[in-house]
Amino acid sequence: MAANDEAVDFDDDDLMDEDGQEAEAVSVPKLRSTITGGAGEASNVARKIKGRGFRQEAGADRGARFGGRDFDSLDSDGGPGPLKSIEGWIVLVTGVHEEAQEDDLHNSFREFGQIKNLHLNLDRRTGFVKGYALIEYESFEEANAAIRSLNGTELLTQTIYVDWAFSNGPSRRRNTRRRSPRRRSRSPPRRY
Amino acid sequence: MAKNVGGGGGSDLEEFYVRYYVGHKGKHGHEFLEFEFRPDGQLRYANNSNYKNDNMIRKEVFVSLAVLRECRRIVVNSEITKEDDNNWPLPVRVGRQELEIVMGNEHISFSTSKVGSLLDVEASRDPEGLRTFYYLVQDLKCLVFSLISMHFKIKPIHPVAAPIFDNLKKWAEAYYVCYLTKPRTAP
Repeated sequence: MAANDEAVDFDDDDLMDEDGQEAEAVSVPKLRSTITGGAGEASNVARKIKGRGFRQEAGADRGARFGGRDFDSLDSDGGPGPLKSIEGWIVLVTGVHEEAQEDDLHNSFREFGQIKNLHLNLDRRTGFVKGYALIEYESFEEANAAIRSLNGTELLTQTIYVDWAFSNGPSRRRNTRRRSPRRRSRSPPRRY
Repeated sequence: MAKNVGGGGGSDLEEFYVRYYVGHKGKHGHEFLEFEFRPDGQLRYANNSNYKNDNMIRKEVFVSLAVLRECRRIVVNSEITKEDDNNWPLPVRVGRQELEIVMGNEHISFSTSKVGSLLDVEASRDPEGLRTFYYLVQDLKCLVFSLISMHFKIKPIHPVAAPIFDNLKKWAEAYYVCYLTKPRTAP
């Protein structure tokens, strides 16, 4: 039974929450957000909402687009830590100077191994560098060395941050959190 | 310069969510591209084209907190949450875009028609707001395409020159659809 209670069923929530509130239909989101985990928990947080998406039956087929389970992904053990990409290990560089060139990044990052791929994306409005770069190394060791050596260093007068781009699993475990109030025993009385 | 500072003002990633959809229903059925960043770091990407019997590409991968923060920075700096879609062109069957963002206590869910070029933006009733939307969407797509193509090796990479030549936008869109819908990876 407890398991049933925990399962977040949006339809049931709707019936309960919006019972007798038809007058507010305009401001109440008709569409369920696709944030299945987050929306359930956050439903009692007062949010400022804005946009037509809350008033239209726009995404009636949204479930069909994203609801399926047949998404391709690379093998992962679901644990914490970096995830290998199909041909190597990708690191994210942030804080990149808007006038940086690919060569500037090459010069700094090739010290740790051959750079197999580099994306230095531009701001679509200004044409300058957006502020991040993605760099691919063949081995974990090379990528790891680049992260350890260059994170927090300076490139063209700006501090850059270097970290893994992909992760083996969720950055936090929502399910654990949702369940925890039931499972956790009461805190011991505070000692003074 | 200041906009390149990492973090994007506040570290509250707890309720960060972004979803973008663009699509239409036409003679090749429902063709669309959609992606979302979920609060736990899951990035999902779907691209469906029925043209010449291409089928759906669906990819998902967990990105690191660093990537989520960078995505959030891009959204925050765009100031999209100050805009409103009230005066934007209405979405239509042959072209609709949706942008949904949850950030802290703000939740926007904007929809509009397809915006072909900056000319459409300027001709609209809210050029300033629509321009913010237009560029943010391109910057987000750019990030997602890089992440997905580097992780899964879907090639080729989107053209970098597009931002400078706005009139290449349409060509670039066609380019994405043509190539990103054909997975060349053979796992």
